[in-house]
Amino acid sequence: MALEFQKKQVLFNGVVGVEEAENLLAWLQKKPGASADLSACEHLHPANLQVLMAAATPIKAWPADPVLAAILQSALTAHPSIQEQ
Amino acid sequence: MNPLLEQFLSEARDTLEAIGATLMELEQAPEDGELMTQLFRLVHTLKGNSGLFEVPEMTRVLHAGEDLMDAVRHHEIGFSNELADRLLDAMDHVASLCEDLEAERPFNASTAADTQKYVSALRALMPQHLDADPDEGTSPAPPEPLPRPAAGRLAQLPEALRMSACLAALQATPGQALVWGCYQPDDQCFFQGEDPLHLVRNIPGLLWADVAARQDWAPLANLDAYQCQLSFHWLALTDTEALATHFRYVPDQLRQCALPPLLLVLPQGDPNGGPVYEDFVHDALALLDAGDRSGLGRAVRSMLELSNAALWLSSALRWLQSLLQAPATTDEALRALILSLRQLQWPDWSQLATSAQPASSPQAVPPPVAEAPQTGGLDAAHTPEAVAFRELLSVQAEILSLPDDAQWLTGRIQAASGALGACLRANGREDELPALAAATAQALAEGRSAPLADWMAEAFAGAQGELQRQATAPCPDSGQTAASGSVRLADATHAEPPAAPAATTPEALALQASGASPADLEARIERRVEDHASAKSLKVDQVKIDRLMNLIGEMVVAKNAIPYLANRAESVYGSRELSREIKTQYAVINRISEEMQDAIMQVRMMPVSFVFQRFPRLVRDLSRRLGKDVNLVLEGEDTAADKNIIESIGDPLVHMVRNSLDHGLEMPEQRRAAGKAAQGQLRISARQEADRVVIEIIDDGRGIDPEVIKFKAYEKGLIDEATLERITPQEAINLVFMPGFSTADAVSDLSGRGVGMDVVRTAIERVNGSITLDSVKGQGTTIRLSLPLSMAVTNVMTVETDGQVFGVPIDMVVETVRVPSTSIRGIKDNLVTVLRGRVVPLKSLNRLLGLAAPPLANDNDELAVLVVRLGEDYLGLLVDDFHETTDIILKPLGGVLGGLRLYSGSALLGDGSVLMVLNVKEML
Repeated sequence: MALEFQKKQVLFNGVVGVEEAENLLAWLQKKPGASADLSACEHLHPANLQVLMAAATPIKAWPADPVLAAILQSALTAHPSIQEQ
Repeated sequence: MNPLLEQFLSEARDTLEAIGATLMELEQAPEDGELMTQLFRLVHTLKGNSGLFEVPEMTRVLHAGEDLMDAVRHHEIGFSNELADRLLDAMDHVASLCEDLEAERPFNASTAADTQKYVSALRALMPQHLDADPDEGTSPAPPEPLPRPAAGRLAQLPEALRMSACLAALQATPGQALVWGCYQPDDQCFFQGEDPLHLVRNIPGLLWADVAARQDWAPLANLDAYQCQLSFHWLALTDTEALATHFRYVPDQLRQCALPPLLLVLPQGDPNGGPVYEDFVHDALALLDAGDRSGLGRAVRSMLELSNAALWLSSALRWLQSLLQAPATTDEALRALILSLRQLQWPDWSQLATSAQPASSPQAVPPPVAEAPQTGGLDAAHTPEAVAFRELLSVQAEILSLPDDAQWLTGRIQAASGALGACLRANGREDELPALAAATAQALAEGRSAPLADWMAEAFAGAQGELQRQATAPCPDSGQTAASGSVRLADATHAEPPAAPAATTPEALALQASGASPADLEARIERRVEDHASAKSLKVDQVKIDRLMNLIGEMVVAKNAIPYLANRAESVYGSRELSREIKTQYAVINRISEEMQDAIMQVRMMPVSFVFQRFPRLVRDLSRRLGKDVNLVLEGEDTAADKNIIESIGDPLVHMVRNSLDHGLEMPEQRRAAGKAAQGQLRISARQEADRVVIEIIDDGRGIDPEVIKFKAYEKGLIDEATLERITPQEAINLVFMPGFSTADAVSDLSGRGVGMDVVRTAIERVNGSITLDSVKGQGTTIRLSLPLSMAVTNVMTVETDGQVFGVPIDMVVETVRVPSTSIRGIKDNLVTVLRGRVVPLKSLNRLLGLAAPPLANDNDELAVLVVRLGEDYLGLLVDDFHETTDIILKPLGGVLGGLRLYSGSALLGDGSVLMVLNVKEML
């Protein structure tokens, strides 16, 4: 399973595909304030990223891949979103 | 190259030609709606087809063309010559893309840029409201180059990353440069299977990327996760080519700009009460002026050790330290950085940046929009004239510094001298012209460029520093221009088109695309001429091929006359020598004509896939209708045979496949009950065996029950009771080929009308093929067709009887034997003999042909027996003598003789006589 929903946390495993975004969104809508653990994530489709961004989900752990982690951190850590300049 | 691509390329060529022709016609009759629709359809088809291959450029151009023609079709804009011109140009471009595809040339960025040019040219003609059509995935205008990011934005990147990026860029290999980009995926891109994040993660040479929302997110309850709202910014050390390749599917969603590495030098940190480092600044500047970089390095290091790492000062010192590592760093850059310590403000790199840019920095994208080379900061003169002047000088300097061994040296010196003279006049320095003339004369006299170069160095000393600076770190654009310029002056025959003028508006681009420059136009016309020379496949009327066939047939016949000639030379004129020579010559002609025949056969060959390709659909539809689950396996689709053969087996094959589906394969439940997999298998395979093509249709269905067949046949009165008792299972199975036979209890719309297998057999036999049927009850049925590769040439055995020569197709002949008349017995009316333990009935050919003469026996009282195969049986024909086998072109009998079914046709023999070919089956 690419997404593993726990009580208050969702685990991202391996490559998380585009079709998971729907489930993720539904789950986060039910569980506001839930957090995400990306440590086992190798790649996630940006649709999932959008959901995490929109829900302002706190991230418990970042992916091991430094490039992916850096990109995700830019979007998911709490700094004001940068508008197109 | 795969067959699909091959077909696409050949079709594309035809379509492009048709588009061109239609456009020409339209120019004559612009109001013709019919033609316009036709044109639209052509472009539309080609666009659709191009989508099958990895040619997004081609699809984009065609898409633009299609939109434009749609607009014309709906009278939103009028047809004009300009429109036709641009369309034709665009189609030429598509043709060149096709060529690239054919030659398997890899994608390159300049083609992509060209594509963008053509697309813009076409889009520029679109009416405005259509331009912004939201449904269309492609954006109408080319992406504008991204403005350089503000320092504040860049400062958000981690310092360590900026530092390594800056260093890497300063030491980068030629061709690589820092690129700052913004990638905004299309809203709907997720639905097209794109993964923008993946694309960004894999940008070649990616150093850093971030992602942000384009706008505030909708409340979670209303969020549409599948509407892409992201925008990516990234920094990469890469070359434009690789980048363009990476983004070739979404070039319109990408904006980028070259980023001079120095722009990354942005010290950060705690100001610690303000600028109080005047001492250090003073010392550092002194060291820098003295050219003592290592001293400066030491000073920086000791200062850094004394300072708190979080300070702005420390950050600046760290930058100094790393910049000192890069030999490419200019003193100006270091100076500006040191001076920044006075105010604790970022130095204004935009002034210095360009001058310190490494030699290979990419131009802003799109490439045609060349940045005018800027040398600002140091030289006040950066008006276009001044820039051009400097370039001109640098070009001349370059020309004059070339080795003197070229044979066109004189011309080169004169050209440079002319250019320099013009420079002087343009600057109002006419009084120096005589000096120039003197230097030129000296240079010409000495046969080397040096005197003129020396004069130039002196006369333009002011600009010389500039030139040298450019020589150490030449601006990319001036470098390029210099190169093309020098070629132009040095060798006028290889004139390159002038560097494209800067153009950013779509209109200007359009003008460019429509080709204002004559050199461009000429090149294009030339290309068009070449295009026509390179058609790879021909469409030829079959009549012409048939004519070739007939001609080669006559050739074979004429060739066969030569051995007769050789014999005559020997027997009539007694010249053995001549006879041998004729025979040698005959061998040569024979070889050539055989090869020729083979080549013409090849032209007529078609793969069986021509017939097979209809089966997947047929099987799918039928099995759906019958509620059966069938797996169709096609094998050997590229087996080839003569066109006539292939065409003639189409219908029989369809019939047999239907039979297999309808009668052979069972319903899934029945199959399961019989212990077989629920899914039935139908295998159609073709292969070549010697000079025959064998096609097998194998199903693993219920098979044929010989008992059932027997009784059905008996019921229908096709066989009598005696046969019913006697018949073997295999013979019973073969009863399905009897006319009027059908096993199906109900006539379905698929098969079972009783006109089945006998029609199939007749059709196959008409092309000299044979059909056999094997079936094991409960395990399946195998139908095997054996067909000749080609019908054109028939190999016949010639036999003589009663002084006449007849031909019998060699594939019917089993053997030729001489049987002693003593071993021939009579059973009732019939003669028989025993050959190899087998009773063979004998018939006299004379009798069959109504000739009165009895068969002739030879001296040993042996009769010549030609054993032929008739289906499963053997039959011996009593003839007088055997002759050789020979290749003939069999011509069916026509006219009054057409009714004689005894003969399958006639052929001309080498000696000019006519050979009648017997149809043994009809004879009995």
